[in-house]
Amino acid sequence: MFEEASEVFDNMFKSSFPLTFIVFIPAVLILVSPLPAEAAHEFTVYRMQQYDLQGQPYGTRNAILNTEARTVEAEVLSRRCVIMKLADFSYEKYQKALRQSAGAVVIILPKNMSALPQDIVQQFMELEPELLATETIIPVYFAMEDDELLSIYTQTLTSSTSQGSLSAAEVLLHTATANGFQMVTSGAQSKAVSDWAITSLEGRLAGVGGEDLPTIVVVAHYDSFGVAPWLSYGADSNGSGVSLLLELARLFSKLYTYKRTHAGYNLLFFLSGGGKFNYQGTKRWLEDNLDHTDSSLLQDNVAFVLCLDTLGNGDSLHLHVSKPPKEGTPQHQLLKELELVISSQYPEVKFSMVHKKINLADDMLAWEHERFGIRRLPAFTLSHLPSHRLAQRSSIMDVRSVSPSSHYGVGEPPAGPYVDMKKLGRNTKIVAEALARVVYNLTEKGAPGDLQIFTEQMQVQEEQLSAVVEWLTAQPRAAQLVDKDSSVVSTLEYHLTRYLKDVKKHYVKADKRDPEFVFYDQLKQTMNAYRVKPAIFDLLLAVCIAAYLGVMYLAIQNFGVLYSVVRRITQPKTKTH
Amino acid sequence: MTLFHFGNCFALAYFPYFITYKCSGLSEYNAFWRCVQAGATYLFVQLCKMLFLATFFPTWEGGAGVYDFVGEFMKATVDLADLLGLHLVMSRNAGKGEYKIMVAAMGWATAELIMSRCLPLWVGARGIEFDWKYIQMSFDSNISLVHYIAMAAVVWMFTRYDLPKSYRLPVTVLLALCVYKAFLMELFVHVFLLGSWTVLLVKAVVTGAISLCSLFLFITLVHSN
Repeated sequence: MFEEASEVFDNMFKSSFPLTFIVFIPAVLILVSPLPAEAAHEFTVYRMQQYDLQGQPYGTRNAILNTEARTVEAEVLSRRCVIMKLADFSYEKYQKALRQSAGAVVIILPKNMSALPQDIVQQFMELEPELLATETIIPVYFAMEDDELLSIYTQTLTSSTSQGSLSAAEVLLHTATANGFQMVTSGAQSKAVSDWAITSLEGRLAGVGGEDLPTIVVVAHYDSFGVAPWLSYGADSNGSGVSLLLELARLFSKLYTYKRTHAGYNLLFFLSGGGKFNYQGTKRWLEDNLDHTDSSLLQDNVAFVLCLDTLGNGDSLHLHVSKPPKEGTPQHQLLKELELVISSQYPEVKFSMVHKKINLADDMLAWEHERFGIRRLPAFTLSHLPSHRLAQRSSIMDVRSVSPSSHYGVGEPPAGPYVDMKKLGRNTKIVAEALARVVYNLTEKGAPGDLQIFTEQMQVQEEQLSAVVEWLTAQPRAAQLVDKDSSVVSTLEYHLTRYLKDVKKHYVKADKRDPEFVFYDQLKQTMNAYRVKPAIFDLLLAVCIAAYLGVMYLAIQNFGVLYSVVRRITQPKTKTH
Repeated sequence: MTLFHFGNCFALAYFPYFITYKCSGLSEYNAFWRCVQAGATYLFVQLCKMLFLATFFPTWEGGAGVYDFVGEFMKATVDLADLLGLHLVMSRNAGKGEYKIMVAAMGWATAELIMSRCLPLWVGARGIEFDWKYIQMSFDSNISLVHYIAMAAVVWMFTRYDLPKSYRLPVTVLLALCVYKAFLMELFVHVFLLGSWTVLLVKAVVTGAISLCSLFLFITLVHSN
């Protein structure tokens, strides 16, 4: 047959040139064509943080993956992708994967994070900063669980746990029937994003009565932080602070429109970006206003700076200061007013002042007021958290807000940090009342402690607060994801322009030669899980096919036997005709 | 080792054809070119069928779950053109007696192998992902080979002028079975919801039965003279 075939091809070559083209060019093209991908399952994965802060790298360094999947119970983990469920996650298992130089770690997060038991959530929240503290080469991914991913996990689990405990025959049978999975990420290696601009927004309400009025600055940072940037929604920290600031802006702008209630203080509101990365937005804003401009509200007469950070929950309020306020200063006045308002109107709230000196040797500053304190501006931070080191400030578990009228209704509160709308409304009222008492000098004028200014038409609107928090938690607000054109920034700008004048945007870009912060891309990737069989399976299959073909060959060779059998069966029939 | 897997599937699909060609003595008859011609006729017939189906049969709009029995039946009827094509090949090929059947069937089946199975195997079996359907496809091509040989034999018997009257009916029945085999298989799958390996088994059994019957009839016809 091959001689005939070669004859035909010879004729083809000699006779017509176009014919060869028609035959060969498509064949060549098909041979070299790239393979289309067709995976058992394709899902989105969110990578762990990767950033450099002040030259120090944090987080995972790698973003590509093309390895086989295993679970932690398997014995050999090196160069494999380790899959874990959040409920089984523990630091020892993570360390085991790292020690054996695994290829990657994928942590599967359940669909309903708020339905997790309390202790698992707590444990994970405590682990988040530890995961980030060490710089790892292997990429760590988070994926939301769905049915196919779960089935992939259970199959990998059964094959991982059964390794090394069976006889050779069972292992052979196992390889024939089991499914292995190859995890491949699409996308390139991660690289530093150049020219990332962190945006901050400011707006002001001018006071009445000439020049040289004292200024009160209200600051809140709007970005969020968590172990994976795409999963950090930051409801309490700092969605609560932002909504409180916007509500204050709304209330005071209403007061300032009427001549009777127009006070003699300038109010400057500042929404800073990059807050979780050592308050970069605030730092540059201060530099620009104090060093590079001739006159600015910040230079002349600053009464105090009030920073709002994590006020959405809790039954206590702490005023964090770096220097205890001296008697007679507006700072001290605010402190006294806060104590008065809380003791007379909300006695269930515990209030305290926390004094912590600024420690410049630390990697990260504790609270936002320390940035102002470094520039010698009187500042404090109000928060329901007693310490800046608490995990609730930087956790991906901080996603929800609960309000009495929400469709979550009454039931178990979520396990992780969350925003309780009633408490946020109460805290807003406390801050507003205290500020008003300072601005209008009410205590000196003899107003009683339980005088409520913000009632009836001037009431604190919980629906407004709730709407802002829900909008803020609808998208991740990590500083790496909010660039200057993002919808978060433009919506915040819109909100500020409704109430304030002179709304300006302020950009921070990292310095070229000695960058304070460097962000990396490839934070959200698509991972494909391909069903694969081990190499031995192919050999096994080849042996089986060879056996089958051998049988076929014998059958066809001896077809004549069948022929004669049938002939013998039919012949008696004709004989009897 | 995915190229290896492609090699496995290709060997499984193609070797029986090769063995059949060698062992049926066709190589002594310089029948290669005739087989290629038969393959070309296959291509032509498929093209005509496709054009016919596209022109005259409206697209089925009844939803995904319902099986359009009548529509599929009509479409299967168009497969009668296969029989016409086989007849055309056998009548034009000046091969000797029974070898016409083999030549026509080999060419037809090889063309079908190349056109409908090689490309999916090349594209699919070479990928990282493993799926049993490629092995099943290769088995299916083996079954098709037997099926086409049986079909060619039945067509040849049908067109013989010296076919006894008593054989007309069985031959016609077998012919109809050959044409509607695909339709019947789909019917089985929908009604009984069979798994893919079971379908293959049923297909093998049905084809085996058809080919045995046609073998019986062929032998009695050839050796009754």
